[in-house]
Amino acid sequence: MWDTFRAVFWAFLGIRSSQGYDEDRKKLKIHHVIIAGVVCALVFVVMLLMLVKFITAK
Amino acid sequence: MASATTHDHAHGHGHGHDHDHHGPGPWTRIFTTTNHKDIGSMYLWFSLLMFFVGGAMALLIRAELFQPGLQVVQPEVFNSLTTVHALVMIFGAVMPAFVGFANWLIPLQIGAADMAFPRMNNWSFWLMIPATILLMASFFVPGGAAASGWTLYPPLSTQGGIGVDMTIMAIHILGASSIMGSINIITTILNMRAPGMTLMRMPMFVWTWLITAYLIIAVMPVLAGCITMLLTDRHFGTSFFNAAGGGDPTMFMHIFWFFGHPEVYILILPAFGIMSQIIPAFARKPLFGYASMVYATASIAILSFIVWGHHMFTVGMPAAGQLFFMYATMLIAVPTGVKIFNWIATMWRGSISFETPMLFAIGFLCMFTLGGFSGLVLSIVPVDITLHNTYYVVAHFHYVLFPGAIWALMAGVYFWLPKWTGRMYNETLGKWHFWLSAISFNVTFFPQHFLGLAGMPRRIPDYALQFAEWNMISTIGAFALGFSQLLFVYNVFSCIRSGEKAKERQWDSADSLEWTHLPSPVPYHTFETPPDLRGTNAAH
Repeated sequence: MWDTFRAVFWAFLGIRSSQGYDEDRKKLKIHHVIIAGVVCALVFVVMLLMLVKFITAK
Repeated sequence: MASATTHDHAHGHGHGHDHDHHGPGPWTRIFTTTNHKDIGSMYLWFSLLMFFVGGAMALLIRAELFQPGLQVVQPEVFNSLTTVHALVMIFGAVMPAFVGFANWLIPLQIGAADMAFPRMNNWSFWLMIPATILLMASFFVPGGAAASGWTLYPPLSTQGGIGVDMTIMAIHILGASSIMGSINIITTILNMRAPGMTLMRMPMFVWTWLITAYLIIAVMPVLAGCITMLLTDRHFGTSFFNAAGGGDPTMFMHIFWFFGHPEVYILILPAFGIMSQIIPAFARKPLFGYASMVYATASIAILSFIVWGHHMFTVGMPAAGQLFFMYATMLIAVPTGVKIFNWIATMWRGSISFETPMLFAIGFLCMFTLGGFSGLVLSIVPVDITLHNTYYVVAHFHYVLFPGAIWALMAGVYFWLPKWTGRMYNETLGKWHFWLSAISFNVTFFPQHFLGLAGMPRRIPDYALQFAEWNMISTIGAFALGFSQLLFVYNVFSCIRSGEKAKERQWDSADSLEWTHLPSPVPYHTFETPPDLRGTNAAH
């Protein structure tokens, strides 16, 4: 599971080393990646919201 | 486009037999064809026609704006022209053109015999014709065509005449066509790849279309819902967007832009795919960071769903909302930047040659980056509040969409024309087309940044005297840009009629299956037996 989330994290940044990519190809399953992608997108939104809350707090 | 020349080529490589001489006559064939190449060509011809229809509207707009005051069209017609120009270019020119490329290339690049649902493919194409007729006929009904801008914001869109209803129906039909096209594309890619063509070996064009197709399926129903609510507000007594009835016009904007922003990526991701095929071929190096490109495309697609609010910073939104959308918008520049750097890294120390497709590709890189940067400027809330609804925004999105989407399409046509038709286009004419387009595009749209910064509002047929000079220059550029595109049409026709014979692998470093496994022109039926790619290097 950690491998899937690590791959999705790099995907959000849009970069991946060839070594990491080779490992991804061997280990990852497409539906795991999609689920991890949706979860990470939600986490990303929550993080942005927390940042906004922190900045706008009086 | 190859259809005219498919009957006299040699059958190479043991791929299929040319059955088209036994088929129906040309007219019956146009209506009944289920062949992905025929349908791809029909999409491309249709989009070329619509490109000139939308372009003619753009020239009318620019002719009116040549001088202050009203000279060419009435203000109502001007508003209709801005509205329908956008709708025609988005739904009639760019999207169908990319679907045309998808039809032609996806089966060839994954080693499939055809699309997964050939009859639905035919239906998707033919649905566009009544939709276009509705859209264009709306100019001639009482009240004229929709004049609310392509965003159809109420209350403007609840006030118009029957032309608005015709536009709504046209968008519904075009949306259904796009959804069917997308279902076809996804099913084809996921189920019909040749043995050994794993997902991570697919050409980037196929990847970008896979992701785009998911975006279309996700957001087109949102648009359909949005305009259906508009329709019921107009005719059936609902008040979704009518404040007097307890509704909220702002809600329309949120729903519309939840569709509208992913739509921007629907228009540009397949262009990224075409770039990722062309740049490595002319740099004579494999694409730098293939995996990064796939990951970045997926990332852009996900992020595209959480940035819609940046289109409506001035509408009235809590500061926290503005900040959220500002940060999210700025962050989407990261994966997009990764793509730009990957293309530059692909060219780095490559053995580059500058044939027409590569010129358009490099033009794309430079101009799209410029448009991206003005997008970053607009993502900053206080700046956007000043620049919103000015010509700066018009300049920004034309920098992204003309050299972005349209030049990618031009590059793609020049790149694959030898494969489709078996003949070469005229290289000198192609280069003239590029340079005239590049210069006239910048003459047209760069001054619009200045106009916007000086405060000239968009979608207005008349303007204050201080904007006169740059408007005049912009109009001169627009006419040069419009007429330069005739070179493209001439080049395509003369290529099909009398171009020199193209080689099987016209571009020696192009390595997708259509170049490595198929003759030029490609036979009418290809990959009836899928190629076995297991254990080979055939790749992206």
